[in-house]
Amino acid sequence: MDIDLIRVLLPLAAIAAAIFLVVALARRRR
Amino acid sequence: MEADELIRDYIGRLEAASWPLPPDRRAELVGEVREHIETALAEAGRRDAVTVHNVLERLGRPEEIVSSEADVEPGPPRWVDARLADAAVSIPAWGGLEIAAVLLLTVGAVLLPLFGPALGLVLVWLSTRWTTREKVIASVIVVVIFVLPVLGLLAVDGTAGASSS
Repeated sequence: MDIDLIRVLLPLAAIAAAIFLVVALARRRR
Repeated sequence: MEADELIRDYIGRLEAASWPLPPDRRAELVGEVREHIETALAEAGRRDAVTVHNVLERLGRPEEIVSSEADVEPGPPRWVDARLADAAVSIPAWGGLEIAAVLLLTVGAVLLPLFGPALGLVLVWLSTRWTTREKVIASVIVVVIFVLPVLGLLAVDGTAGASSS
């Protein structure tokens, strides 16, 4: 198992989720 | 109890029972029922306590009239929801919990691998500012982008290991 892949995929997944949540809150404010 | 007193009591109970309805619908319903009572009494040609009692009995209990209204749903009434939605505008969208969750999902994912995003997702689920749908979507994003490829790779490693031995 390539540990580098985990290092790349995990932040990518978490950041994508964070972007979605930030956008969700921002859209509700409008 | 006098005839008019019976009607007043009935209308009072109807007004009390109709609190879940929007104020305009509530007034409309009370008006309709009042009119119905007056029509029935006019048709009966009498206005004594027994006639009024019979008319009210035919109408049914005020609570039943209210619950038979098609748009009455369990839980807080919709007009209350609308007022709460107006009040929610004055509540800041971002609380400490939301900021911590987003930081753990972004910076935390780099600085604290596995632990950071996991705790971030826990905070997301603890927050009341995101809807359950949004929480589910955020969790699914993490699962689809991270967990599924990792599981896929583990499966590939497993079959590669099995075939090489």
